[in-house]
Amino acid sequence: MTESPAIEIPVIEMVRPMPGFPDHRRFALVQFDASSDLCSLTSLDEPDLRFLVVPPSAFFPDYAPEVGDDVVEDLGIGEAADVLVLVVLTPGASLEETTANLAAPVLVNPATRRAGQVVLDELGLPVAAPLLG
Amino acid sequence: MLVLSRRAGESIVLGDDITVTVLEVRGDVVRIGIDAPRSLKVHRAELLAQLEESNRQAASPSDDLVAQLSEALGRDRD
Repeated sequence: MTESPAIEIPVIEMVRPMPGFPDHRRFALVQFDASSDLCSLTSLDEPDLRFLVVPPSAFFPDYAPEVGDDVVEDLGIGEAADVLVLVVLTPGASLEETTANLAAPVLVNPATRRAGQVVLDELGLPVAAPLLG
Repeated sequence: MLVLSRRAGESIVLGDDITVTVLEVRGDVVRIGIDAPRSLKVHRAELLAQLEESNRQAASPSDDLVAQLSEALGRDRD
């Protein structure tokens, strides 16, 4: 098993804030441990506020959100491949009951440390997709 | 709230560069076309409400839940 590189960005700026949390602009993104891709997205303004995020590729291999030029500009994206795509998890009592939000992925540009929860309105993607399909 | 009556094919203009056109009215469904700069975010109101609710539910899970999920995901990957 090859370990993916640890994700740790101490300060990211949420240039497109998370719906419901418009005032939280600065977050830290930290991978919990090497055993899984699970990361915490913790508000630097309110340390009690955190989200669980995970790269979707292992669970939703066909998921490839397309974003507009406005997002590319907001995040200062040069190469699409450089962007970290994450989905927000709503943990249930078990892994089977845990859901992922595919309608609004969190995109992070590690180079500029700018991020946003991007609303993919037109595609009709689920807000609560079971993580295990 | 400003209320205007429009027929299919008619538009309203918001500011300098936004045009909203009623494309079709069929029963209780109205199809609307929006011509606006790409920088303007246009979303269905109920989707935004759904996302707010989803984010609120997702926010700040307990340490127990996080540990459980982290372990399950680690196991899942092996």
